[in-house]
Amino acid sequence: MTAFSKLTGALFTLSITILFFSCMQKNNNDKEATLQDSLSTIANNEYANVDRSPMDITYYPPSYPEEKMNNTNQPTTPVARIIYSRPHKKNRIIFSDSEKSICQYGKLWRLGANEATEIEFFKPVIINNKNIPAGRYGMYCIPFKDKWILALNTNLYTWGLDIQPEKDVIRIEVPVQKQQPSLEDFTIVLAPASYGADMLIAWDDVKTVLPLMFL
Amino acid sequence: MKKIVAVLIVWIACSNVIAQSTSSLVDKSPMDISYYPDNYPVLRIQNKVSGPLLARAVYSRPQKNNRVVFGNLIEFDKIWRLGANEATEIEFFQNVKINNVRIKKGRYTIYTIPKENSWTLVLNKETDTWGAFRYDMAKDIVRVELPVEKQKEVTEYFTIAFEKATAGFTMMITWDDVKVALPVYL
Repeated sequence: MTAFSKLTGALFTLSITILFFSCMQKNNNDKEATLQDSLSTIANNEYANVDRSPMDITYYPPSYPEEKMNNTNQPTTPVARIIYSRPHKKNRIIFSDSEKSICQYGKLWRLGANEATEIEFFKPVIINNKNIPAGRYGMYCIPFKDKWILALNTNLYTWGLDIQPEKDVIRIEVPVQKQQPSLEDFTIVLAPASYGADMLIAWDDVKTVLPLMFL
Repeated sequence: MKKIVAVLIVWIACSNVIAQSTSSLVDKSPMDISYYPDNYPVLRIQNKVSGPLLARAVYSRPQKNNRVVFGNLIEFDKIWRLGANEATEIEFFQNVKINNVRIKKGRYTIYTIPKENSWTLVLNKETDTWGAFRYDMAKDIVRVELPVEKQKEVTEYFTIAFEKATAGFTMMITWDDVKVALPVYL
């Protein structure tokens, strides 16, 4: 046996060991309670811990900040931006009837993790024939097997576990589409459409599309 | 050789498949929000809020990753986005004062020009932008020079946090062995 093949053998064993322990870790993580899970962190920091479900921001026009940096004739303000956190599937059941799933059918869900998901329109838009003034809104959903109810809401700067439906501005029903392969990280993007943009929300094997019309 | 291939296959199959998100990749430097009052959204759902939301910073958090940060990864005397990815945004929910300049409530981009012993923090009107690549000094609102404090414990993730101060609050910026405090007056 050459030194080289010994080394690759050792690397192989090490990989299997790490894989085994990382999978055990995942199973433990699955048992965390909702609030604890949503407050859980990957790194301790004296001032502010780092979230397990990282936050992200998505713009319309798509990649507006990068496009503006590249100076490709971007408008002076974007049309919309969404700030949301991106939980991972981590082998869990996401959408189902069961209480144990991450997003149970019929239950309010913050469309993300951690803070309530926020959408800001820098110009008025039309959703489902209703005029939505420019401004900032909280966004959440009620998932079902075949449809989701999406809601915009005025309850802002809050953690996503205390949704207040009495503050809804609009509710819209959108059909659920199946997708393959399964998407590991919860994702929201705003894609161009002939009438404005489509808000595409996807996680696991599920996808919904909310059309936004621009004036 | 077969073993190398096997190791690679195991790693690719088991790594938490960040590359799997086809429509939008997960950033290496995660985004985060800091609030003043600190932890405001959680306090709200616990009914522990004692005052209004005054500020929030939306920023991305690069990691030290065994690198020398200041004077190396982040060069001295060059404008830096104070984070990663999108330029860092600070929003004030009421008018404030920084370095005796009145700042209207609203969204701003915050940059820094770091030196070894002091940083110049820059508040700028151009928002929703990437990095400091198109930084335009003509859109500055205020600049303030702040001393650099050295800290013994290394901060792995770039961090912005707010703390209460007698006449307002302090924006604490920490990374690696460096700490800078920006006083904000109400």
